[in-house]
Amino acid sequence: MREILVEPLARVEGDGGITIRAEGKKVHEVRFDILEGTRLVETLVIGKTPEEDVSITCRICAICTLSHRYAALRGLEKALGIEVPPKVQALRSLMHLGELLESHSLHVFLLALPDFLGYPNAVAMAEKYGPEVVQALALKKFANHVMTVTSGRMIHGENPTVGGFGKYPEKDILLDIARQAQAMIPFAEKAVGLIAGLSVPDYFEDDTVFMCCEPGDDGFGLMGDRIRISDGKVVDAKEYRTLTNEKFSPHSAAKHCLYQGKPYTVGAIARCNNLGERMNGLAGKLFKKHWNKRWLRNPVFNNLAQAIEMVWALEQVSKTVDAVLQYPDDPPIVKPTRQSGEGVGSVEAPRGTLYHAYRIQDGLVAEANLIIPTGQSLEDIEKYMRKAVEILLSQGADDSAIRLQAEIIVRAFDPCISCSTHMVRFERHDPR
Amino acid sequence: MERKKLDIGLYGFTGCNGDQLVIIHSEDKLLDFFASANIRSFSLAKSDNEQTPLDIAFIEGSISSQEQVEHVQEIRQRSALLVAIGNCACYGGIQAMELGREGWDRRFQSVYGENFFEVRTPIESKPIDAFVAVDFRLPGCPIDADQFFAVYSSLIRKTKPQMPDYPVCAECRWRENECLLLKGQLCLGPLIAGGCKAVCPSHNLPCVGCFGPVEEANVSSEFALLKEKGFTVEEIRRRLRIHSGSGVLKSLKNLFGEV
Ligand code: SF4
Ligand code: SF4
Repeated sequence: MREILVEPLARVEGDGGITIRAEGKKVHEVRFDILEGTRLVETLVIGKTPEEDVSITCRICAICTLSHRYAALRGLEKALGIEVPPKVQALRSLMHLGELLESHSLHVFLLALPDFLGYPNAVAMAEKYGPEVVQALALKKFANHVMTVTSGRMIHGENPTVGGFGKYPEKDILLDIARQAQAMIPFAEKAVGLIAGLSVPDYFEDDTVFMCCEPGDDGFGLMGDRIRISDGKVVDAKEYRTLTNEKFSPHSAAKHCLYQGKPYTVGAIARCNNLGERMNGLAGKLFKKHWNKRWLRNPVFNNLAQAIEMVWALEQVSKTVDAVLQYPDDPPIVKPTRQSGEGVGSVEAPRGTLYHAYRIQDGLVAEANLIIPTGQSLEDIEKYMRKAVEILLSQGADDSAIRLQAEIIVRAFDPCISCSTHMVRFERHDPR
Repeated sequence: MERKKLDIGLYGFTGCNGDQLVIIHSEDKLLDFFASANIRSFSLAKSDNEQTPLDIAFIEGSISSQEQVEHVQEIRQRSALLVAIGNCACYGGIQAMELGREGWDRRFQSVYGENFFEVRTPIESKPIDAFVAVDFRLPGCPIDADQFFAVYSSLIRKTKPQMPDYPVCAECRWRENECLLLKGQLCLGPLIAGGCKAVCPSHNLPCVGCFGPVEEANVSSEFALLKEKGFTVEEIRRRLRIHSGSGVLKSLKNLFGEV
C-alpha cells in the first residue's frame, strides 16, 4: 500500500490534511481530513441572548469573523422582527467588502501565487516580484483598515450589533477609504492579468453544481435571502436544509454537504459562474475577457475568480461609502418587535455561502444551526483530487507530483488558510 | 556586544487562530519581529518549521484532543518559557464556557451523533495550564497587538512584562466615556482585565468580557456592584462565563458554591 500524507500542523482556521492511499494503479482512498479541534459552538449559544450569540459565533473564524457576525445578525433580526434602516445596511456592506478583500488578498497573493510561481513563500517571491508583494501587503492592510473602521477592531470587533451599529465612522475616514480603494484598482487589475497568465491543467476537469446567494437586484453581490443554483433553480434560504444535507464523515470534524446526493461548490468561482455576467465596470470587462466554459469544470479557476472579485470589491467600496454618507443622521439601534421567532441568515463569506439559522424563544436562543462554506465544498474537493490522483497514478507519476497536484486543488478551493501554509509529511509503505 | 538571538516558536491549537493573525496583520512590526529572533516555528506564516529547543514558545488555542495534549507536552519539554496567548490558551476560550459543569458528552453527541473520529480523539476543551505549566499569560480575544509586542520585547530582554492590573472600567474612564451601567446596560467592564483600551464602551456597546477576568480577588466585590445596579446573578454569571472560561471558576465557586 502506498500512502501519501499531507498534514499541516498549525492553521489559521483549523487543522487539515490530505491522505491518499493506493495500491499499484488502484486508488483506495483520497481524503481531505479536517482535524480541527471540536468547539461545539452550536451547543454553546443555546440559552444565550441574541447579542451574546453574535459575540460567540463570530469567534468561529478570525478571517471571516464579520461574515459570521453578518449571517448571525441577519438570522437573529429576522427571528426578532427587526428591520434595519438603509444606513445600517450600507455600512454592513462596507464591512463585508473589507473582509472579502482581506481574505482574498491573503489567499491569492500570499498563499496561492507563490505556489504557482514556484516559491516556498511570499517572502522568497519578493526577490523577483518585490513591488507586487509590497502592493499586495498594502492591499491587505487597507482591507484590515476597513474592517477596523467599521467593526471597531481588526478581529472580532463588536461594533456591528443586533439592530444596527454602536457607533458610526467619521465622514473623513470613510472618504479616505473610498480614495484609497480607487487608488488600488490598477494593482488589482494587474494581479488579474498575472493570475490569468498561469497555466491551469485540465486533465481532472469534471462537471459540478455551483451555489451562491441571489442578491435579488440584478447585480453581483454578497448577500441575499434566496440561493441561486447553477441548475437554474432559485430557492428560499429558509429551505437551506434541502440544499445542504449535512452528513457526518469519520475523517472530518466538519460535516460534509450534498445537493440532491451530489457534491457542489461554493465561493468566488460559484459566484462568478452564477452571477459574473452581472458585473459591470472594470470587473465586468475583466470577467468577460477571462471567463470561459472551463470555469464550470475546473476549481483551480477559483484563484482568478477571487482576483476579479477583488477588482469588483474595490470598485464597490466608493459606491458603498457614498451610500453610507447619503444619510447624515446616525440611526439609533432598532429594538426587537417580538421575543420569539425563527430566522435564517445567509450571506456570502469569502469562501462561500454561510448560513446561520436560529429559533428564539422568550428572548433566548433555543436552537441554532450554522453551515459553513468549507463543509459545503468538501465533497467536491475530494472528487477533483481523486480524479487527478487516479489519472496521475495511471501515468506512473511519483509521490511528489501527486502531492503537489492534490495540494493545488485543495488550495484553490481556499478551504482555510490553514491548508495553504503547511508542513508536508510523507509516509511511504512498501507493498507487502 | 550583540545579544545572542533567542529561539522562538509560535503554535496554534483549537481556536480561530486570531491571535497569530493579529501578529501577521501587524505588517509594520512583522519584519522587525522576524529579525529580532530565530523564528523556529510559525506554521501560519512559514512552511520550513523546525522542532528544536526553544527559549520561548508562544501558544494560542485550547487543548481539545488527546493528540493535542501530547503535542503541547512535547513543546513544553523543549521550551524554557511557555507563554499562553489569547483567551483560548489562557482560559479555554468560548469553547470552555461550560467548564466545570456536566454535559460535554451529551453536547458532543448532539453535534456529531454516535459517530467517532478516526483521526483524532476529542476531549472537552481546556486551557493550556490544565496540561502543562504556563509561565506567562497574555489574554484577549483576540490579543491586542501593542500588548503582544510590548510583552515580547520585555521577554527577549529577559525582563518581566508589565500587564495592566486595572479593569476595562479604568481605561473607559480615561477615555471619558459615559458609563453604560448608568444607562441600564450590563457592561462587564468592572470585572474584566484592561488592555483593549475599552474599545467596546467607546463604541457605546457594553464590554462582553473578551479579555477575561481581572485578578480573582476583585471579582467578588465587582460582582456585588453589578448586582446593585439591578442585574440578576444569573445574567451576570452567564455573560461572564462566555469569555472567561477557567478564569472565574474559583471566584464563582467561592461566591455561589457552584459555577
Ligand atoms: S461603560 Fe462599562 S467599562 Fe465603562 S465605566 Fe461603565 S461599566 Fe466600566
Ligand atoms: S471592551 Fe471588553 S469585550 Fe470589548 S474588547 Fe475590551 S475586553 Fe473585549
